[in-house]
Amino acid sequence: MFLVLRELRAARARFLLMGAVVALIAALVGIVSGFTNGLGDDTVSALRRLPATHIAFAAGTGTDAFARSALDPAAVRGWQAVPGVEATPVGVAIARGTTGRGVPVDLAAFGVEPGSFAAPAGLTAGGVVVSRKIADAGVRPGDTLAVDRTGVRLPVVGVTGRSAYGHVPAAYMSLATWRRVHPAARPGEVSAVALRARAGADLAAADRRLGTRTETRDAAFAAAPGYTGERLTMNSILVFLYLIAPLVVGAFFAVWTVQRTPELALLRALGAARRTLLGHTLAQAALVVVAASLAGGALAAGAGLALGAAVPFSLPAASLLGTVAAVSAAGLAGAALTLRRVASPDPLTMLGAAR
Amino acid sequence: MSLRLEGVTVAYGRGAARTTVLDGLDLEFAPGVLTALTGPSGSGKSTLLAVAGALLRPDAGRVLLDGEDVAPLGDARRARVRRERIGYLFQSGNLLPGLTALDQVLTMAHVARRRPARYRDRAAAALDAVGLAHRRGHRPEQLSGGERQRVALARALVLEPSLLLVDEPTAAVDRAQAGELAALLADCAGRRGCTAVVATHDPAVTEAAGRVVALAA
Ligand SMILES: Nc1ncnc2c1ncn2[C@@H]1O[C@H](COP(=O)(O)OP(=O)(O)O)[C@@H](O)[C@H]1O
Ligand SMILES: [Mg+2]
Repeated sequence: MFLVLRELRAARARFLLMGAVVALIAALVGIVSGFTNGLGDDTVSALRRLPATHIAFAAGTGTDAFARSALDPAAVRGWQAVPGVEATPVGVAIARGTTGRGVPVDLAAFGVEPGSFAAPAGLTAGGVVVSRKIADAGVRPGDTLAVDRTGVRLPVVGVTGRSAYGHVPAAYMSLATWRRVHPAARPGEVSAVALRARAGADLAAADRRLGTRTETRDAAFAAAPGYTGERLTMNSILVFLYLIAPLVVGAFFAVWTVQRTPELALLRALGAARRTLLGHTLAQAALVVVAASLAGGALAAGAGLALGAAVPFSLPAASLLGTVAAVSAAGLAGAALTLRRVASPDPLTMLGAAR
Repeated sequence: MSLRLEGVTVAYGRGAARTTVLDGLDLEFAPGVLTALTGPSGSGKSTLLAVAGALLRPDAGRVLLDGEDVAPLGDARRARVRRERIGYLFQSGNLLPGLTALDQVLTMAHVARRRPARYRDRAAAALDAVGLAHRRGHRPEQLSGGERQRVALARALVLEPSLLLVDEPTAAVDRAQAGELAALLADCAGRRGCTAVVATHDPAVTEAAGRVVALAA
Protein backbone atom coordinates (compact mmCIF):
# COMPACT_ATOMS: atom_id res chain seq x y z
CA MET A 1 0.00 0.00 0.00
CA PHE A 2 3.00 2.28 0.46
CA LEU A 3 3.26 3.54 -3.10
CA VAL A 4 -0.44 3.01 -3.80
CA LEU A 5 -1.57 5.94 -1.70
CA ARG A 6 1.43 8.12 -2.40
CA GLU A 7 1.05 7.80 -6.14
CA LEU A 8 -2.68 8.45 -5.85
CA ARG A 9 -1.96 11.61 -3.93
CA ALA A 10 0.74 12.70 -6.36
CA ALA A 11 -1.57 12.22 -9.35
CA ARG A 12 -4.85 12.99 -7.61
CA ALA A 13 -6.26 15.21 -10.34
CA ARG A 14 -6.01 12.40 -12.89
CA PHE A 15 -7.35 9.77 -10.53
CA LEU A 16 -10.22 12.02 -9.48
CA LEU A 17 -11.13 12.48 -13.11
CA MET A 18 -11.11 8.77 -13.78
CA GLY A 19 -12.90 8.09 -10.50
CA ALA A 20 -15.58 10.60 -11.44
CA VAL A 21 -16.14 8.86 -14.77
CA VAL A 22 -16.43 5.45 -13.09
CA ALA A 23 -18.69 6.91 -10.41
CA LEU A 24 -20.98 8.40 -13.06
CA ILE A 25 -21.10 5.10 -14.92
CA ALA A 26 -21.93 3.29 -11.67
CA ALA A 27 -24.59 5.89 -10.90
CA LEU A 28 -26.07 5.50 -14.35
CA VAL A 29 -26.05 1.72 -14.04
CA GLY A 30 -27.74 2.07 -10.64
CA ILE A 31 -30.36 4.47 -11.95
CA VAL A 32 -31.09 2.38 -15.04
CA SER A 33 -31.33 -0.73 -12.81
CA GLY A 34 -33.67 1.16 -10.52
CA PHE A 35 -35.92 2.07 -13.41
CA THR A 36 -35.72 -1.45 -14.80
CA ASN A 37 -36.84 -2.84 -11.45
CA GLY A 38 -39.37 -0.10 -10.90
CA LEU A 39 -40.93 -0.35 -14.34
CA GLY A 40 -40.88 -4.13 -14.05
CA ASP A 41 -42.67 -3.92 -10.72
CA ASP A 42 -45.17 -1.51 -12.17
CA THR A 43 -45.82 -3.88 -15.03
CA VAL A 44 -45.92 -7.28 -13.40
CA SER A 45 -46.02 -6.92 -9.60
CA ALA A 46 -49.62 -8.15 -9.61
CA LEU A 47 -48.42 -11.33 -11.34
CA ARG A 48 -45.40 -11.63 -9.08
CA ARG A 49 -47.74 -11.53 -6.07
CA LEU A 50 -49.80 -14.33 -7.51
CA PRO A 51 -48.77 -17.49 -5.65
CA ALA A 52 -49.02 -19.59 -8.83
CA THR A 53 -46.41 -21.72 -10.58
CA HIS A 54 -48.02 -21.52 -14.02
CA ILE A 55 -50.68 -19.64 -15.94
CA ALA A 56 -52.86 -21.20 -18.61
CA PHE A 57 -54.00 -18.90 -21.46
CA ALA A 58 -56.25 -19.65 -24.38
CA ALA A 59 -54.23 -21.30 -27.16
CA GLY A 60 -53.14 -18.97 -29.94
CA THR A 61 -52.70 -15.87 -27.79
CA GLY A 62 -49.21 -14.48 -28.28
CA THR A 63 -48.18 -11.10 -26.96
CA ASP A 64 -50.39 -9.29 -24.44
CA ALA A 65 -51.88 -12.67 -23.68
CA PHE A 66 -53.95 -11.45 -20.72
CA ALA A 67 -55.77 -8.93 -22.89
CA ARG A 68 -56.49 -11.43 -25.68
CA SER A 69 -57.00 -14.66 -23.81
CA ALA A 70 -60.52 -15.82 -23.03
CA LEU A 71 -61.40 -19.18 -21.51
CA ASP A 72 -64.83 -20.70 -21.01
CA PRO A 73 -66.03 -22.41 -17.83
CA ALA A 74 -65.37 -25.86 -19.34
CA ALA A 75 -61.65 -25.13 -19.64
CA VAL A 76 -61.56 -23.89 -16.06
CA ARG A 77 -63.34 -27.01 -14.80
CA GLY A 78 -61.02 -29.13 -16.95
CA TRP A 79 -57.96 -27.63 -15.31
CA GLN A 80 -59.46 -28.04 -11.85
CA ALA A 81 -59.79 -31.75 -12.59
CA VAL A 82 -56.15 -32.26 -13.63
CA PRO A 83 -54.39 -34.40 -11.02
CA GLY A 84 -51.56 -32.65 -9.15
CA VAL A 85 -52.83 -29.20 -10.11
CA GLU A 86 -54.69 -26.62 -8.08
CA ALA A 87 -56.41 -24.22 -10.47
CA THR A 88 -58.34 -21.01 -10.03
CA PRO A 89 -59.73 -18.71 -12.73
CA VAL A 90 -58.51 -15.13 -13.16
CA GLY A 91 -60.03 -12.27 -15.13
CA VAL A 92 -57.94 -9.26 -16.09
CA ALA A 93 -59.28 -6.00 -17.52
CA ILE A 94 -58.22 -2.35 -17.44
CA ALA A 95 -60.89 0.07 -16.24
CA ARG A 96 -61.34 3.63 -15.03
CA GLY A 97 -62.99 4.46 -11.77
CA THR A 98 -63.88 7.43 -9.62
CA THR A 99 -63.45 7.58 -5.87
CA GLY A 100 -66.17 8.77 -3.54
CA ARG A 101 -64.37 12.12 -3.43
CA GLY A 102 -64.49 12.40 -7.21
CA VAL A 103 -60.83 11.54 -7.85
CA PRO A 104 -60.40 9.55 -11.09
CA VAL A 105 -58.23 6.42 -10.80
CA ASP A 106 -57.06 3.85 -13.33
CA LEU A 107 -57.36 0.30 -12.20
CA ALA A 108 -56.37 -3.13 -13.40
CA ALA A 109 -59.42 -5.13 -12.42
CA PHE A 110 -58.47 -8.65 -11.32
CA GLY A 111 -61.41 -10.98 -11.08
CA VAL A 112 -60.67 -13.86 -8.71
CA GLU A 113 -62.65 -16.26 -6.58
CA PRO A 114 -62.74 -15.02 -2.99
CA GLY A 115 -60.93 -17.52 -0.78
CA SER A 116 -58.90 -18.95 -3.66
CA PHE A 117 -55.10 -18.76 -3.65
CA ALA A 118 -55.27 -15.96 -6.21
CA ALA A 119 -57.44 -13.74 -4.00
CA PRO A 120 -56.05 -11.20 -1.52
CA ALA A 121 -57.03 -11.60 2.13
CA GLY A 122 -60.35 -10.03 3.04
CA LEU A 123 -61.94 -10.07 -0.41
CA THR A 124 -65.72 -10.44 -0.29
CA ALA A 125 -68.12 -11.39 -3.06
CA GLY A 126 -69.40 -7.86 -3.72
CA GLY A 127 -66.43 -5.78 -2.54
CA VAL A 128 -63.10 -4.62 -3.94
CA VAL A 129 -59.60 -4.83 -2.45
CA VAL A 130 -57.42 -2.05 -3.84
CA SER A 131 -53.63 -1.87 -4.03
CA ARG A 132 -51.52 0.67 -2.19
CA LYS A 133 -51.32 3.15 -5.04
CA ILE A 134 -55.09 3.44 -5.32
CA ALA A 135 -55.27 3.83 -1.56
CA ASP A 136 -52.68 6.61 -1.87
CA ALA A 137 -55.12 8.46 -4.15
CA GLY A 138 -57.37 8.80 -1.10
CA VAL A 139 -59.40 5.59 -1.19
CA ARG A 140 -60.12 4.12 2.26
CA PRO A 141 -61.89 0.91 3.32
CA GLY A 142 -65.56 1.82 3.62
CA ASP A 143 -65.38 4.19 0.62
CA THR A 144 -67.13 3.41 -2.61
CA LEU A 145 -65.32 3.08 -5.92
CA ALA A 146 -67.48 3.81 -8.97
CA VAL A 147 -66.41 2.14 -12.21
CA ASP A 148 -66.98 4.54 -15.09
CA ARG A 149 -69.45 3.77 -17.90
CA THR A 150 -70.80 0.63 -16.18
CA GLY A 151 -72.50 2.26 -13.22
CA VAL A 152 -70.99 -0.39 -10.99
CA ARG A 153 -70.31 0.88 -7.44
CA LEU A 154 -67.94 -1.20 -5.38
CA PRO A 155 -67.46 -0.94 -1.62
CA VAL A 156 -63.75 -0.94 -0.72
CA VAL A 157 -63.17 -3.77 1.73
CA GLY A 158 -59.39 -3.85 1.97
CA VAL A 159 -55.99 -2.57 0.84
CA THR A 160 -53.08 -4.73 -0.34
CA GLY A 161 -49.41 -3.75 -0.84
CA ARG A 162 -47.95 -2.51 -4.12
CA SER A 163 -49.56 -4.44 -6.90
CA ALA A 164 -49.83 -3.27 -10.49
CA TYR A 165 -50.29 -4.65 -13.95
CA GLY A 166 -49.18 -2.82 -17.09
CA HIS A 167 -48.41 0.34 -15.06
CA VAL A 168 -51.97 0.35 -13.72
CA PRO A 169 -52.61 -0.33 -10.01
CA ALA A 170 -54.53 -3.51 -9.33
CA ALA A 171 -57.99 -3.82 -7.80
CA TYR A 172 -59.23 -7.27 -6.81
CA MET A 173 -62.86 -8.32 -7.00
CA SER A 174 -64.92 -11.46 -7.40
CA LEU A 175 -65.31 -12.87 -10.90
CA ALA A 176 -69.01 -12.07 -10.93
CA THR A 177 -68.21 -8.44 -10.13
CA TRP A 178 -65.38 -8.48 -12.66
CA ARG A 179 -67.77 -9.47 -15.45
CA ARG A 180 -69.93 -6.48 -14.56
CA VAL A 181 -66.89 -4.21 -14.76
CA HIS A 182 -65.83 -5.86 -18.03
CA PRO A 183 -69.13 -6.17 -19.90
CA ALA A 184 -67.43 -7.48 -23.04
CA ALA A 185 -66.89 -10.79 -21.23
CA ARG A 186 -69.36 -13.54 -22.13
CA PRO A 187 -71.18 -15.30 -19.31
CA GLY A 188 -68.76 -17.53 -17.38
CA GLU A 189 -65.78 -16.24 -19.33
CA VAL A 190 -62.39 -15.65 -17.62
CA SER A 191 -59.00 -14.50 -18.98
CA ALA A 192 -56.76 -17.26 -17.75
CA VAL A 193 -56.33 -19.95 -15.12
CA ALA A 194 -53.74 -19.61 -12.39
CA LEU A 195 -52.19 -22.98 -11.57
CA ARG A 196 -50.32 -24.41 -8.67
CA ALA A 197 -48.81 -27.51 -10.21
CA ARG A 198 -46.90 -30.14 -8.31
CA ALA A 199 -43.77 -31.49 -10.00
CA GLY A 200 -44.72 -34.22 -12.43
CA ALA A 201 -48.18 -32.89 -13.28
CA ASP A 202 -48.75 -33.38 -17.00
CA LEU A 203 -49.49 -29.82 -18.09
CA ALA A 204 -48.78 -30.41 -21.76
CA ALA A 205 -51.43 -33.13 -22.00
CA ALA A 206 -53.98 -30.89 -20.27
CA ASP A 207 -53.09 -28.05 -22.65
CA ARG A 208 -53.78 -30.28 -25.67
CA ARG A 209 -57.04 -31.56 -24.27
CA LEU A 210 -58.39 -28.22 -23.06
CA GLY A 211 -57.16 -25.99 -25.88
CA THR A 212 -54.93 -23.87 -23.65
CA ARG A 213 -51.30 -22.75 -23.62
CA THR A 214 -49.53 -22.94 -20.24
CA GLU A 215 -46.48 -20.93 -19.28
CA THR A 216 -44.57 -20.65 -16.06
CA ARG A 217 -45.64 -17.64 -14.09
CA ASP A 218 -42.34 -15.83 -14.70
CA ALA A 219 -42.50 -16.51 -18.44
CA ALA A 220 -46.04 -15.10 -18.36
CA PHE A 221 -44.57 -11.75 -17.27
CA ALA A 222 -43.87 -11.26 -20.95
CA ALA A 223 -47.64 -11.37 -21.46
CA ALA A 224 -47.97 -8.09 -19.57
CA PRO A 225 -48.25 -5.08 -21.90
CA GLY A 226 -44.88 -3.44 -22.60
CA TYR A 227 -42.89 -5.72 -20.34
CA THR A 228 -40.67 -7.29 -22.99
CA GLY A 229 -39.96 -3.98 -24.73
CA GLU A 230 -39.12 -2.21 -21.48
CA ARG A 231 -36.76 -4.99 -20.45
CA LEU A 232 -35.03 -5.00 -23.81
CA THR A 233 -34.52 -1.23 -23.77
CA MET A 234 -33.19 -1.08 -20.24
CA ASN A 235 -31.03 -4.16 -20.52
CA SER A 236 -29.41 -2.98 -23.72
CA ILE A 237 -28.47 0.27 -21.96
CA LEU A 238 -26.99 -1.78 -19.13
CA VAL A 239 -25.04 -4.00 -21.52
CA PHE A 240 -23.45 -0.96 -23.14
CA LEU A 241 -22.58 0.54 -19.77
CA TYR A 242 -20.92 -2.70 -18.72
CA LEU A 243 -18.92 -2.65 -21.95
CA ILE A 244 -17.96 1.01 -21.55
CA ALA A 245 -16.80 0.69 -17.94
CA PRO A 246 -13.88 -1.68 -18.52
CA LEU A 247 -12.84 0.20 -21.65
CA VAL A 248 -12.73 3.53 -19.83
CA VAL A 249 -10.80 2.09 -16.91
CA GLY A 250 -8.55 0.07 -19.22
CA ALA A 251 -7.77 3.12 -21.36
CA PHE A 252 -7.01 5.17 -18.26
CA PHE A 253 -4.66 2.60 -16.80
CA ALA A 254 -3.00 2.03 -20.15
CA VAL A 255 -2.19 5.75 -20.40
CA TRP A 256 -1.25 5.88 -16.73
CA THR A 257 1.13 2.96 -17.14
CA VAL A 258 2.77 4.45 -20.21
CA GLN A 259 3.18 7.77 -18.42
CA ARG A 260 4.92 6.22 -15.47
CA THR A 261 7.13 3.89 -17.48
CA PRO A 262 10.23 5.77 -16.25
CA GLU A 263 9.20 5.29 -12.63
CA LEU A 264 8.43 1.63 -13.19
CA ALA A 265 11.85 1.22 -14.83
CA LEU A 266 13.47 2.91 -11.81
CA LEU A 267 11.67 0.61 -9.38
CA ARG A 268 12.69 -2.41 -11.44
CA ALA A 269 16.30 -1.18 -11.52
CA LEU A 270 16.26 -0.79 -7.74
CA GLY A 271 15.24 -4.44 -7.59
CA ALA A 272 11.45 -4.38 -7.27
CA ALA A 273 9.95 -7.78 -8.07
CA ARG A 274 7.41 -7.86 -10.90
CA ARG A 275 4.98 -9.15 -8.29
CA THR A 276 5.50 -6.02 -6.19
CA LEU A 277 4.73 -3.73 -9.12
CA LEU A 278 1.73 -5.76 -10.23
CA GLY A 279 0.35 -5.97 -6.72
CA HIS A 280 0.71 -2.30 -6.17
CA THR A 281 -0.88 -1.39 -9.50
CA LEU A 282 -3.75 -3.78 -8.94
CA ALA A 283 -4.32 -2.46 -5.43
CA GLN A 284 -4.34 1.05 -6.84
CA ALA A 285 -6.87 0.14 -9.50
CA ALA A 286 -9.02 -1.71 -6.98
CA LEU A 287 -9.00 1.19 -4.57
CA VAL A 288 -9.97 3.77 -7.17
CA VAL A 289 -12.52 1.63 -8.98
CA VAL A 290 -14.23 0.31 -5.85
CA ALA A 291 -14.31 3.73 -4.19
CA ALA A 292 -15.71 5.29 -7.37
CA SER A 293 -18.31 2.54 -7.79
CA LEU A 294 -19.41 3.00 -4.19
CA ALA A 295 -19.70 6.74 -4.74
CA GLY A 296 -21.72 6.09 -7.89
CA GLY A 297 -23.92 3.64 -6.01
CA ALA A 298 -24.52 6.25 -3.32
CA LEU A 299 -25.39 8.73 -6.06
CA ALA A 300 -27.92 6.30 -7.55
CA ALA A 301 -29.43 5.62 -4.13
CA GLY A 302 -29.64 9.36 -3.55
CA ALA A 303 -31.36 9.80 -6.90
CA GLY A 304 -33.81 7.08 -5.91
CA LEU A 305 -34.63 8.86 -2.66
CA ALA A 306 -34.98 12.19 -4.44
CA LEU A 307 -37.35 10.73 -7.04
CA GLY A 308 -39.52 9.29 -4.31
CA ALA A 309 -42.71 7.39 -5.10
CA ALA A 310 -43.61 9.68 -7.98
CA VAL A 311 -41.86 7.51 -10.58
CA PRO A 312 -41.50 3.75 -10.95
CA PHE A 313 -38.01 3.45 -9.44
CA SER A 314 -36.97 0.61 -7.19
CA LEU A 315 -33.39 -0.06 -6.13
CA PRO A 316 -33.30 -2.42 -3.16
CA ALA A 317 -30.01 -2.66 -1.23
CA ALA A 318 -29.23 -6.04 -2.77
CA SER A 319 -29.47 -4.79 -6.33
CA LEU A 320 -27.58 -1.63 -5.44
CA LEU A 321 -24.74 -3.73 -4.02
CA GLY A 322 -24.93 -5.94 -7.09
CA THR A 323 -24.56 -2.85 -9.27
CA VAL A 324 -21.54 -1.60 -7.31
CA ALA A 325 -19.92 -5.04 -7.43
CA ALA A 326 -20.58 -5.46 -11.15
CA VAL A 327 -19.21 -2.03 -12.10
CA SER A 328 -16.18 -2.65 -9.87
CA ALA A 329 -15.59 -6.00 -11.51
CA ALA A 330 -15.96 -4.50 -14.98
CA GLY A 331 -13.51 -1.72 -14.07
CA LEU A 332 -10.99 -4.13 -12.62
CA ALA A 333 -11.23 -6.28 -15.71
CA GLY A 334 -10.31 -3.15 -17.67
CA ALA A 335 -7.35 -2.43 -15.40
CA ALA A 336 -6.23 -6.06 -15.68
CA LEU A 337 -5.97 -5.62 -19.45
CA THR A 338 -3.06 -3.25 -18.89
CA LEU A 339 -1.19 -5.25 -16.26
CA ARG A 340 1.18 -6.89 -18.69
CA ARG A 341 2.71 -3.49 -19.44
CA VAL A 342 3.33 -2.72 -15.79
CA ALA A 343 6.05 -5.32 -15.43
CA SER A 344 7.58 -4.77 -18.83
CA PRO A 345 9.56 -1.49 -18.56
CA ASP A 346 13.28 -2.12 -19.05
CA PRO A 347 15.38 -1.27 -15.99
CA LEU A 348 18.37 -0.73 -18.28
CA THR A 349 16.83 2.55 -19.42
CA MET A 350 18.14 3.88 -16.10
CA LEU A 351 21.69 3.71 -17.44
CA GLY A 352 21.47 6.62 -19.82
CA ALA A 353 22.08 10.21 -18.86
CA ALA A 354 19.19 11.40 -20.97
CA ARG A 355 16.53 11.04 -18.33
CA MET B 1 31.41 -7.34 0.22
CA SER B 2 34.08 -8.18 -2.24
CA LEU B 3 33.33 -7.60 -5.89
CA ARG B 4 35.28 -9.37 -8.61
CA LEU B 5 34.85 -9.15 -12.33
CA GLU B 6 36.48 -11.95 -14.31
CA GLY B 7 36.72 -11.76 -18.08
CA VAL B 8 33.63 -9.57 -18.31
CA THR B 9 32.61 -8.88 -21.88
CA VAL B 10 29.67 -6.72 -22.95
CA ALA B 11 28.75 -5.89 -26.52
CA TYR B 12 25.75 -3.87 -27.72
CA GLY B 13 23.92 -4.20 -31.02
CA ARG B 14 24.14 -6.96 -33.56
CA GLY B 15 25.64 -7.66 -36.95
CA ALA B 16 27.72 -4.85 -38.39
CA ALA B 17 26.52 -2.47 -35.66
CA ARG B 18 27.86 -4.70 -32.92
CA THR B 19 30.33 -2.91 -30.69
CA THR B 20 32.20 -4.46 -27.80
CA VAL B 21 32.22 -2.06 -24.85
CA LEU B 22 33.91 -4.21 -22.21
CA ASP B 23 36.29 -6.85 -23.50
CA GLY B 24 37.43 -9.53 -21.09
CA LEU B 25 37.71 -7.13 -18.19
CA ASP B 26 39.27 -8.35 -14.92
CA LEU B 27 38.85 -6.11 -11.87
CA GLU B 28 38.59 -6.52 -8.14
CA PHE B 29 37.08 -4.10 -5.62
CA ALA B 30 37.74 -4.33 -1.91
CA PRO B 31 35.36 -3.50 0.95
CA GLY B 32 35.92 -0.17 2.68
CA VAL B 33 37.38 1.46 -0.40
CA LEU B 34 35.82 4.07 -2.66
CA THR B 35 36.97 3.36 -6.21
CA ALA B 36 36.60 6.07 -8.84
CA LEU B 37 35.96 4.79 -12.33
CA THR B 38 37.11 7.28 -14.92
CA GLY B 39 37.35 7.33 -18.67
CA PRO B 40 35.95 9.32 -21.54
CA SER B 41 32.25 9.34 -22.26
CA GLY B 42 31.33 6.09 -23.99
CA SER B 43 34.19 4.15 -22.44
CA GLY B 44 31.79 1.83 -20.63
CA LYS B 45 31.62 3.20 -17.08
CA SER B 46 27.85 2.91 -16.79
CA THR B 47 27.95 -0.48 -18.43
CA LEU B 48 30.49 -1.71 -15.90
CA LEU B 49 28.37 -0.46 -13.00
CA ALA B 50 25.29 -2.15 -14.48
CA VAL B 51 27.13 -5.44 -14.78
CA ALA B 52 28.49 -5.16 -11.23
CA GLY B 53 25.03 -4.20 -10.01
CA ALA B 54 23.35 -7.33 -11.41
CA LEU B 55 21.32 -5.09 -13.71
CA LEU B 56 22.93 -6.19 -16.96
CA ARG B 57 24.03 -9.72 -17.80
CA PRO B 58 27.46 -9.76 -19.42
CA ASP B 59 27.88 -11.64 -22.67
CA ALA B 60 30.78 -13.50 -21.10
CA GLY B 61 32.63 -13.60 -17.81
CA ARG B 62 31.82 -13.87 -14.16
CA VAL B 63 30.56 -11.27 -11.69
CA LEU B 64 31.40 -12.47 -8.21
CA LEU B 65 29.67 -10.85 -5.24
CA ASP B 66 31.30 -12.37 -2.16
CA GLY B 67 32.32 -15.27 -4.33
CA GLU B 68 28.85 -15.90 -5.78
CA ASP B 69 28.56 -15.47 -9.54
CA VAL B 70 25.45 -13.37 -10.26
CA ALA B 71 25.99 -13.27 -14.03
CA PRO B 72 24.07 -16.46 -14.85
CA LEU B 73 21.14 -15.69 -12.54
CA GLY B 74 17.70 -15.13 -14.01
CA ASP B 75 15.82 -11.90 -14.01
CA ALA B 76 13.96 -12.38 -10.72
CA ARG B 77 17.06 -13.61 -8.84
CA ARG B 78 19.11 -10.64 -10.01
CA ALA B 79 16.32 -8.25 -8.97
CA ARG B 80 16.50 -9.81 -5.55
CA VAL B 81 20.27 -9.38 -5.36
CA ARG B 82 19.80 -5.72 -6.25
CA ARG B 83 17.16 -4.95 -3.67
CA GLU B 84 18.79 -6.88 -0.87
CA ARG B 85 22.48 -6.19 -1.28
CA ILE B 86 23.11 -3.25 -3.57
CA GLY B 87 22.69 0.49 -3.26
CA TYR B 88 22.51 2.09 -6.70
CA LEU B 89 22.60 5.75 -7.52
CA PHE B 90 21.80 6.43 -11.16
CA GLN B 91 23.07 9.34 -13.16
CA SER B 92 19.61 10.89 -13.36
CA GLY B 93 15.94 10.16 -12.91
CA ASN B 94 16.45 8.71 -9.47
CA LEU B 95 13.38 10.13 -7.79
CA LEU B 96 9.68 9.41 -8.11
CA PRO B 97 7.57 12.47 -8.92
CA GLY B 98 5.33 13.79 -6.17
CA LEU B 99 6.94 11.92 -3.29
CA THR B 100 8.64 13.63 -0.35
CA ALA B 101 12.33 13.05 0.35
CA LEU B 102 11.44 10.79 3.26
CA ASP B 103 9.09 8.73 1.10
CA GLN B 104 11.75 8.46 -1.61
CA VAL B 105 14.03 6.84 0.94
CA LEU B 106 11.25 4.63 2.29
CA THR B 107 10.54 3.44 -1.25
CA MET B 108 13.67 1.30 -0.97
CA ALA B 109 12.09 -0.60 1.93
CA HIS B 110 8.95 -1.05 -0.17
CA VAL B 111 11.02 -2.33 -3.10
CA ALA B 112 12.77 -4.77 -0.76
CA ARG B 113 9.36 -6.08 0.36
CA ARG B 114 9.73 -4.78 3.89
CA ARG B 115 7.27 -2.62 5.82
CA PRO B 116 8.19 1.02 5.13
CA ALA B 117 6.57 2.12 8.40
CA ARG B 118 9.28 0.25 10.31
CA TYR B 119 12.01 2.16 8.50
CA ARG B 120 10.93 5.70 9.25
CA ASP B 121 13.63 6.28 11.85
CA ARG B 122 16.33 4.76 9.68
CA ALA B 123 15.17 6.77 6.66
CA ALA B 124 15.21 9.97 8.69
CA ALA B 125 18.71 9.11 9.91
CA ALA B 126 19.84 8.44 6.33
CA LEU B 127 18.56 11.84 5.24
CA ASP B 128 20.28 13.34 8.24
CA ALA B 129 23.55 11.67 7.25
CA VAL B 130 23.45 13.27 3.80
CA GLY B 131 22.66 16.64 5.36
CA LEU B 132 18.99 16.82 4.35
CA ALA B 133 17.26 16.52 7.71
CA HIS B 134 15.51 19.82 6.99
CA ARG B 135 14.30 18.67 3.54
CA ARG B 136 12.38 15.54 4.61
CA GLY B 137 9.01 16.83 3.44
CA HIS B 138 10.26 18.31 0.16
CA ARG B 139 9.30 16.90 -3.22
CA PRO B 140 11.77 16.50 -6.10
CA GLU B 141 10.65 19.71 -7.81
CA GLN B 142 11.44 21.59 -4.58
CA LEU B 143 15.02 20.28 -4.43
CA SER B 144 18.20 21.31 -6.24
CA GLY B 145 20.12 18.85 -8.44
CA GLY B 146 22.64 18.18 -5.70
CA GLU B 147 19.94 17.71 -3.09
CA ARG B 148 18.15 15.22 -5.33
CA GLN B 149 21.31 13.18 -5.70
CA ARG B 150 21.77 13.22 -1.93
CA VAL B 151 18.17 12.01 -1.41
CA ALA B 152 18.94 9.19 -3.83
CA LEU B 153 22.15 8.47 -1.91
CA ALA B 154 20.18 8.28 1.33
CA ARG B 155 17.83 5.83 -0.40
CA ALA B 156 20.78 3.78 -1.66
CA LEU B 157 22.17 3.59 1.87
CA VAL B 158 19.06 3.13 4.01
CA LEU B 159 19.08 -0.67 3.89
CA GLU B 160 22.85 -0.70 4.52
CA PRO B 161 23.91 -2.42 1.32
CA SER B 162 27.30 -4.03 1.13
CA LEU B 163 27.86 -2.74 -2.42
CA LEU B 164 27.32 0.90 -3.37
CA LEU B 165 27.35 1.82 -7.06
CA VAL B 166 27.18 5.46 -8.10
CA ASP B 167 26.97 6.75 -11.68
CA GLU B 168 28.26 10.30 -12.30
CA PRO B 169 26.66 11.79 -9.21
CA THR B 170 28.00 15.29 -9.79
CA ALA B 171 27.01 15.68 -13.44
CA ALA B 172 24.23 18.13 -12.64
CA VAL B 173 25.71 19.62 -9.48
CA ASP B 174 27.76 22.74 -8.77
CA ARG B 175 31.35 22.58 -7.50
CA ALA B 176 30.66 23.12 -3.82
CA GLN B 177 27.96 20.45 -3.76
CA ALA B 178 30.16 18.09 -5.76
CA GLY B 179 32.78 18.30 -3.01
CA GLU B 180 30.19 17.53 -0.32
CA LEU B 181 28.84 14.58 -2.28
CA ALA B 182 32.34 13.20 -2.84
CA ALA B 183 33.04 13.45 0.87
CA LEU B 184 29.82 11.61 1.65
CA LEU B 185 30.73 8.76 -0.70
CA ALA B 186 34.22 8.42 0.75
CA ASP B 187 32.71 8.50 4.21
CA CYS B 188 30.25 5.71 3.34
CA ALA B 189 33.01 3.41 2.21
CA GLY B 190 35.34 4.33 5.06
CA ARG B 191 32.87 4.22 7.91
CA ARG B 192 30.44 1.53 6.85
CA GLY B 193 33.00 -0.63 5.18
CA CYS B 194 30.96 -1.10 2.05
CA THR B 195 32.46 -1.66 -1.37
CA ALA B 196 31.86 1.58 -3.26
CA VAL B 197 32.40 2.29 -6.94
CA VAL B 198 31.71 5.67 -8.49
CA ALA B 199 31.83 6.49 -12.19
CA THR B 200 32.97 10.09 -12.59
CA HIS B 201 34.84 12.76 -14.51
CA ASP B 202 34.88 15.05 -11.56
CA PRO B 203 38.28 15.79 -9.96
CA ALA B 204 36.48 16.51 -6.67
CA VAL B 205 35.34 12.89 -6.65
CA THR B 206 38.58 11.29 -7.85
CA GLU B 207 40.45 13.18 -5.15
CA ALA B 208 38.15 11.79 -2.46
CA ALA B 209 38.45 8.24 -3.83
CA GLY B 210 40.94 5.75 -2.43
CA ARG B 211 41.64 4.28 -5.83
CA VAL B 212 41.14 5.32 -9.43
CA VAL B 213 40.50 2.91 -12.29
CA ALA B 214 40.60 4.39 -15.78
CA LEU B 215 38.71 2.76 -18.65
CA ALA B 216 40.10 3.30 -22.13
CA ALA B 217 37.76 4.51 -24.86
N1 LIG C 1 21.53 0.00 -24.77
C1 LIG C 1 22.58 0.28 -25.59
N2 LIG C 1 22.53 -0.06 -26.89
C2 LIG C 1 23.55 0.20 -27.72
N3 LIG C 1 24.65 0.82 -27.34
C3 LIG C 1 24.78 1.19 -26.06
C4 LIG C 1 23.75 0.95 -25.13
N4 LIG C 1 24.14 1.43 -23.93
C5 LIG C 1 25.37 1.95 -24.12
N5 LIG C 1 25.76 1.81 -25.39
C6 LIG C 1 27.04 2.21 -25.94
O1 LIG C 1 28.05 1.61 -25.18
C7 LIG C 1 29.10 2.48 -24.98
C8 LIG C 1 29.41 2.62 -23.51
O2 LIG C 1 28.31 3.27 -22.90
P1 LIG C 1 28.34 3.62 -21.36
O3 LIG C 1 28.61 2.41 -20.58
O4 LIG C 1 27.10 4.36 -21.07
O5 LIG C 1 29.59 4.59 -21.28
P2 LIG C 1 29.92 5.74 -20.24
O6 LIG C 1 29.03 5.57 -19.08
O7 LIG C 1 31.35 5.55 -19.95
O8 LIG C 1 29.67 7.01 -20.97
C9 LIG C 1 28.72 3.78 -25.65
O9 LIG C 1 29.36 3.83 -26.92
C10 LIG C 1 27.23 3.69 -25.79
O10 LIG C 1 26.83 4.38 -26.94
MG1 LIG D 1 27.58 6.76 -18.27
